[in-house]
Amino acid sequence: MLDLFWVEFKRSWLILRRYPSEFVGTVVSLSILFLLLFLGARFLAGPSAEFGERTEALLAGFLLWTLTLFSYSSLSFGLSEEAQTGTLEQVFLTPYGPIPLLLVRNLAGLGTQLLLMGTIALVLLLTTGARLSFTPLLLLPIMTVLLGGYGLGFAMASLALLFKRVQQLLGISQFLLIFLLQYPLEGSGWLTKLGYFVPLVPGADLTRQMMAKGAHLDWNLLGLALLNGLAYLALGIFLFSRAVQAAKRRGLLFGY
Amino acid sequence: MTTVLEATGLHKRFGTLVAVEEVSLHLAPGEVLAFLGPNGAGKTTTIKMLAGLLWPDRGQVQLMGKDPHRDPWALRHLGAVLEGNRNVYWRMTAQENLVYFGVARGLRFAEASRRARKILEQLELAEKSHTEVRHLSRGMQQKLSLGVALMHHPELLLLDEPTLGLDVESALRVEEMVRTLAREGKAILLTTHQLEVAQRLASRLAIIQRGKIVLEGRTTEVLGRFAGEHYLIELETPLPPERLAALRALGLEGEGPEYVYHGDGEGLWRLLEALKPWPLKKVARAEADLLEVFLKVVGHA
Repeated sequence: MLDLFWVEFKRSWLILRRYPSEFVGTVVSLSILFLLLFLGARFLAGPSAEFGERTEALLAGFLLWTLTLFSYSSLSFGLSEEAQTGTLEQVFLTPYGPIPLLLVRNLAGLGTQLLLMGTIALVLLLTTGARLSFTPLLLLPIMTVLLGGYGLGFAMASLALLFKRVQQLLGISQFLLIFLLQYPLEGSGWLTKLGYFVPLVPGADLTRQMMAKGAHLDWNLLGLALLNGLAYLALGIFLFSRAVQAAKRRGLLFGY
Repeated sequence: MTTVLEATGLHKRFGTLVAVEEVSLHLAPGEVLAFLGPNGAGKTTTIKMLAGLLWPDRGQVQLMGKDPHRDPWALRHLGAVLEGNRNVYWRMTAQENLVYFGVARGLRFAEASRRARKILEQLELAEKSHTEVRHLSRGMQQKLSLGVALMHHPELLLLDEPTLGLDVESALRVEEMVRTLAREGKAILLTTHQLEVAQRLASRLAIIQRGKIVLEGRTTEVLGRFAGEHYLIELETPLPPERLAALRALGLEGEGPEYVYHGDGEGLWRLLEALKPWPLKKVARAEADLLEVFLKVVGHA
């Protein structure tokens, strides 16, 4: 398994190194998207409006969104691409089985995803003048969000496996992620309680608090976030394994 | 002899279409089985079931005694070049592809790296080791696909149209590789529409038509069976007309110096006796070619 992780890790870095324009293009387009949103909001609010801490909260949420976006959509894009280019069946011929291989692939791709998020963060911090707090402990809530993101990614990959063309759905559902990542956990109403069970919400809330407000790590909330992430990962993997069975029964692994 | 592949009673239906019906195949080490049939006959569906990529509705597949549909490690014994697919990553080099797929098939990284170098040399692709696949010719890509299938020393190779779209030289090279692999003890299941390739390579053949195996046997036996009682007789010089006229009554046909005799073995001896002492160059039983067999079987079925 370690060797498998190593070749998957090498594969993701090789492609990043060999096709840097894709990396630069993603950094530029996502940075512009945030700046347009940010400047647009300032323009609408008028010159006297003070964003204060909200800029930091907005930026923290946006960065988390970019990271979750990759964990969520990379598997589906990958499977659609492999079905289109004709390598999907070779991936399914691995004796490790497709799910362990794709899990390892997700894990190995984390390095490039963090690099991407880090670069976008740097660009946006410099251009907006915002200040975010980065502590090593921040990685813990981010990991819980990623677990949930991978879970949702596996669920979406189930659809990609069965229906192949899911780009439209992926595009629309990316905006659902914004809602999940900005879901507030403050207050004591039933909506707040529900939030603990909604995918990504506890981890995202904790990450936002730590990045934007410099809050200390809330270990209880981290525990809940971890449970939430693991539960959605397990659910995603379960759905994907059912989709693999259906694809093998109905002959959907080949052809695009 | 141990069996590498044992597939029994495979059956697959897609909606109302019965794609494969009661197909059984077996392969021993060193055997090349040509699995032939017209388009849509069920070849690819069968191959996908053998590779664990498609679940049969009924029937069983055993690779070295293991069922790939229940035990994924059975796939360790299988290498496949699948038709119409690239089989390899275009953004990676030849060497990177081999190492990646070698590890993905269960090899350790160091072993995969060593093996990749060896395979690249065997495939005469060593010079292209560090070239991205998208810059390789179609023939080179096809050879690389074969290399990927061979990385983990599988006992069984499924080659679906391995020479499709290759130029003559590349196709001959792939043919030679298949022959070498069979000599080394690999069991090879080959599908192709190039029947002359199948005839040259296969020790056994199976023809599938509308999802059912309609003919199976050793290549030489099948060809012999379809040839009937025909003999080719070649003489050093053509027979003079009066001599030929006399021999026509014994069943000799043709204008010479190559003739054909239609009849049984006893009649052949009578003819040879009558030919004496005319110098013979060659006497051989005529063989049907696979194209003839295929057309007869598929047309009849």
